[in-house]
Amino acid sequence: MPIIDVRNLGKTYRTIEKENGVKGAVKALFRPQYREKVAVHDLNFQIEAGEIVGYIGVNGAGKSTTIKMLTGILYPTTGSVSVLGHDPQRERVANARNIGVVFGQRSQLWWDLALIESLNLVANIYEVEPSRYKQLLSHFSEVLELDEILKTPIRSMSLGQKMRAELAATFIHEPKVVYLDEPTIGLDVMVKQRIREFIKDYNQTHNTTVMLTTHDLGDIEQLCSRVIIIDAGSKVYDGPLNAIKQQFGKFRTITFETNQPIASVNLPPACEQLNLSEFSLEVRFDRSQISASQVATAVMQQLDVADFTLNEPDLESIIKHLYQNPTAYNEVGTRG
Amino acid sequence: MLRYAKLYWHFVIQRFKILMEYRLNFFIGSISTVLFQGASLVALWAVLRQVPSIQGWTFEQILLIYGLLTLSKGINHLFADNLWVVGRDYIRPGQFDRFLVRPINPLFHLLADRICHDAIGDFIVGLSLVSYAMVQLHLPVNLASIGFIILMVISGGVIFIALNLITAATSFWIMDSIAVTNVVFHTNEFAQYPLTFYHRSIGVLLTWLVPYGFASYYPASYLLGHAIGWMAWLAPLVALVCITIAYRVWVLGLRNYGSTGS
Repeated sequence: MPIIDVRNLGKTYRTIEKENGVKGAVKALFRPQYREKVAVHDLNFQIEAGEIVGYIGVNGAGKSTTIKMLTGILYPTTGSVSVLGHDPQRERVANARNIGVVFGQRSQLWWDLALIESLNLVANIYEVEPSRYKQLLSHFSEVLELDEILKTPIRSMSLGQKMRAELAATFIHEPKVVYLDEPTIGLDVMVKQRIREFIKDYNQTHNTTVMLTTHDLGDIEQLCSRVIIIDAGSKVYDGPLNAIKQQFGKFRTITFETNQPIASVNLPPACEQLNLSEFSLEVRFDRSQISASQVATAVMQQLDVADFTLNEPDLESIIKHLYQNPTAYNEVGTRG
Repeated sequence: MLRYAKLYWHFVIQRFKILMEYRLNFFIGSISTVLFQGASLVALWAVLRQVPSIQGWTFEQILLIYGLLTLSKGINHLFADNLWVVGRDYIRPGQFDRFLVRPINPLFHLLADRICHDAIGDFIVGLSLVSYAMVQLHLPVNLASIGFIILMVISGGVIFIALNLITAATSFWIMDSIAVTNVVFHTNEFAQYPLTFYHRSIGVLLTWLVPYGFASYYPASYLLGHAIGWMAWLAPLVALVCITIAYRVWVLGLRNYGSTGS
């Protein structure tokens, strides 16, 4: 049985359309014109125990709306959600015991309270058994390096400290399902790395199911084996991360630096010119049809090449390609 | 129930720790409430010292009404002050979300999140006024009368909370409900005086629509032995009906909650 079961899920917001200026505001007050905005449309997916799923899409694609429906914050307009057999809205309390949520952009802790006081209160809310709480607290203090900040109020913490504090508060009741909404936003490389390791380690030791939204593809590459891509409220890809990589991994790029200004260049078939400036040229080619040396030879016959580098595709460029070319989704195919 | 009581206690302790961090705030808050109440009383006294009574009501009798209302208001102030700012401080900045992902009732969480100590001022003023009036008016101070007053103050407090809960729930639709709450809440000022002072319609309004009269005028009338005093016994029932309706409106609002972007 899947841990998270989403069926035909949809959310439509109804907003009041306002014209500009005072006149428009007054008009909207007395004769409101409603506009319906579909944020999520007919979403279906199942997530099994222990999976870490990356949930990605551009800003406004419907990621946060989905997470809010999964956690019970928003009521869906259509369809249903079941998390460990509970309806997150109707069985809010039962569902809340099983889940942990991190919203990267806002804190769930008390602004003025020292971290340790906040954690005590959270542990009381979730009725964490005192001896277990003690155990977990010392474990988290170690792996998240909380010792230095336990007595610090949230308001005087740095962004990185805040996120470590959030994670401790989210995992202190040992949730079976965790939703992380941009957990690494704005953090430096070191903190990002520590947070990824923490999530990975927790997932492996507790078999916790994790759903992660992020714009940081490092998070995806290091944590997720499966990716769901959402675009304009609909699911456009659901499958293993490897499949995307393999499909688009057949593209590689070569960057040439030249001694003389480049006038023009004729590329062999299966090649595409990406960037051209005075002394540099970037070429993308399909490695299943042409080899790197063939491309290099063809270019070097025409230009006075000083240096060249061969680039493996990274996930970022793949996703960028997908975002820019919606039809490319079909090339990968969807699952489920 | 026991769980919630324990949890509430933990919230109170944490709140107290925060208050101790802002000690000056703590004292200013308590004192400002006393000063605020004091100013209205001076105004009342200034008017009433010119005449021995208005429509048969003496200064002390009016103080009794005023004192009872202040105590009920204090209950609301102490336990449910967050209802005033739920739109501005929780819903608009997206802070309300966290209440919805925790395994406790979101309304309980909201109220427990900030117990308002400023209410101490209300209790000091209210208790002083009621005791002073009772002694001056030679009203019996015994178990029965004290029990009656406690029952009335609790009922009145619940009525205050219920009306604020209804207006607070409008923030689920309009984001910030302070203006709506202000309009409804301030009708309680009519209930600082005998309802017979006003046009009949105000009396009906303060009894059946915004029933603040049950927090002051009716219980005071009962203590003074006036014929209309029997109405006071409806107060617990009115409170129960109000809070039930209010909670339903709140739940309806929750369903409509749209959260904020991102």
